[in-house]
Amino acid sequence: MTAPDPPAVSAEGLHKALAGAPILTGLSFELRRGELLGLVGANGRGKTTTLRILAGLMRPDAGTARIFGHDAARLRAPERRLVGYMSQNLSLYPELTVAENLRFRAALYDASASDMAAEAAARCGIAAVLSTRVDRLSGGWARRAQFAALLIGRPPLLLLDEPTNGLDLVTRRIMWRWMAELAEAGHCLIVSTHDIIDAEQCPSVLHYGVAGAVGPMPPRALAALHGAATLEEAVFTLDGGGRL
Amino acid sequence: MSGLRACGAVAWVEMLRLLRSPTSFTLLLLVPALQIVLFGTAIQPSGAKVAVAVAGPRAAAAALGELSREPGLVLAMPRLAPGGAEAAVRAGKAQIGLEIPPPGGGAVRLVVNAADPNLTALAESRILGAYWRRAAESAGVADLAPPIDLQRLYNPDARPDWGFLPALVGVIMMISSIMFGTLGIVREREQGTWEALLALPLGRGMLILGKMAPHVALVTLQGFVVLLVAAGLFALPMRGAVSSLMLLMPPFAAAHLALGHALAARARNQLAALQGAIAFYLPCMLLSGFLYPREALPRWARILGDALPLTHFIRAARQATLEGGGPGAVLMHGVPICLFLGAALILAALRHQPRLD
Repeated sequence: MTAPDPPAVSAEGLHKALAGAPILTGLSFELRRGELLGLVGANGRGKTTTLRILAGLMRPDAGTARIFGHDAARLRAPERRLVGYMSQNLSLYPELTVAENLRFRAALYDASASDMAAEAAARCGIAAVLSTRVDRLSGGWARRAQFAALLIGRPPLLLLDEPTNGLDLVTRRIMWRWMAELAEAGHCLIVSTHDIIDAEQCPSVLHYGVAGAVGPMPPRALAALHGAATLEEAVFTLDGGGRL
Repeated sequence: MSGLRACGAVAWVEMLRLLRSPTSFTLLLLVPALQIVLFGTAIQPSGAKVAVAVAGPRAAAAALGELSREPGLVLAMPRLAPGGAEAAVRAGKAQIGLEIPPPGGGAVRLVVNAADPNLTALAESRILGAYWRRAAESAGVADLAPPIDLQRLYNPDARPDWGFLPALVGVIMMISSIMFGTLGIVREREQGTWEALLALPLGRGMLILGKMAPHVALVTLQGFVVLLVAAGLFALPMRGAVSSLMLLMPPFAAAHLALGHALAARARNQLAALQGAIAFYLPCMLLSGFLYPREALPRWARILGDALPLTHFIRAARQATLEGGGPGAVLMHGVPICLFLGAALILAALRHQPRLD
């Protein structure tokens, strides 16, 4: 009898304050491979902080975050291969071409750099811009390239901080389709977003409100919990829109 | 093995970014070009010309003939009435005034504008030397005091540019390295690429080494080019183990790059990083003996200067060029440079937390 696989993500009682202000107050949730979780809520409520803690870029003040059983606060280079992190900012080197950026990411993994870069480029449909410098790409192409870079090394846990921010509707739909396909393929994804239409595409969401985080639960369940007909209505009320 | 592979990947990307960045070219080419023009060309081997005014009844005869033969002196106002030389100095028309009294009228007076003693000290000593030579001849005792056979080792013409150029190689390399070290990291943090880099499967040590490697290579190349320019344009002699000096260049560059990384670790923006870099390299230029003779510094300042890589690199560079030192004499200066490198690497590793908080 073998031990069950550890959850992809296990957060227990996470507390974090930034500049003296409490951001996370006892956040707990668990996710397994194949799950896609959306993080929603107003600015400054802790979505990015949660992603950074899970990526090992910040340490919680209290509580623990585990990635496939490893303490996220003490991830070493081999364990970092389990996590792909896409920040809000464009995190590719602007002076380099898309291909050079992808090859660099691939070289950090053991597999053939060029094969891995080509596979990611093909998946994200960026073959046409491979030889273009990143600082000469439009916002949409740059995001696609960043998404391709995220897939290098096939990390089983993908953390995406507002990946569709500022993109047109078509590109957004494409990216959400990719994320759904990755979840179906067994990856675990956590995606923060301000767009409620985007969030409704997630099987489950975690809402960051004034009183703390609620969830994860399906968008409809979150709406029903707060007596709203839609997720948008629920989030609007929870984020203080009712006072307007 | 995978750590080295990751280090190589970072180094490759860093090299590409370096070659495509206008800032890098400014640091690698413009800064050295400006410095070598300023320190090499602007400092004329013949030294500064100091304007001299001469007043007194006998001014036209003996003194003028004597002074006109002295290098570095310009007889701007040679035949003034008594008191006129001092007035000329006070009016800013001459830096030195010579008041020659009538026979039996007292001592010769030398009036010097000492606001800038660096400018007038040499001229002052030349005039005094000429005076005593003339006095010895007048008294008929010149044969009793034969001229001194002055022998200047390593720099026979006492060329000031030769004094500066070996040190300038180190100064240029130091400024480039520390600027690359500080600005490179902070710029990445501002661009947002640093956050992504920290999340990648890459150890802290390999990240720092990978970032440093291309800069070390380019700054070493820069040092070599500056040395070549010094030899080609200014005839700086290469009498010693220049190849040993070349061996000291990579650790010297790496020491300042590592220190730059340590300074950049907590700098909030490029301006703060720049201030940190300047706060380090300006005192270095003073304490190392580049701007001011170390022998004239107080003891505590000399001890502080001994801890700096630039001090030892300057000594090594003078050994390898002017003084004709062998490999041993040059490479012995590598020990303190490597010790500083080790300390700077440890500091950089300690200050660079692989996190954002």
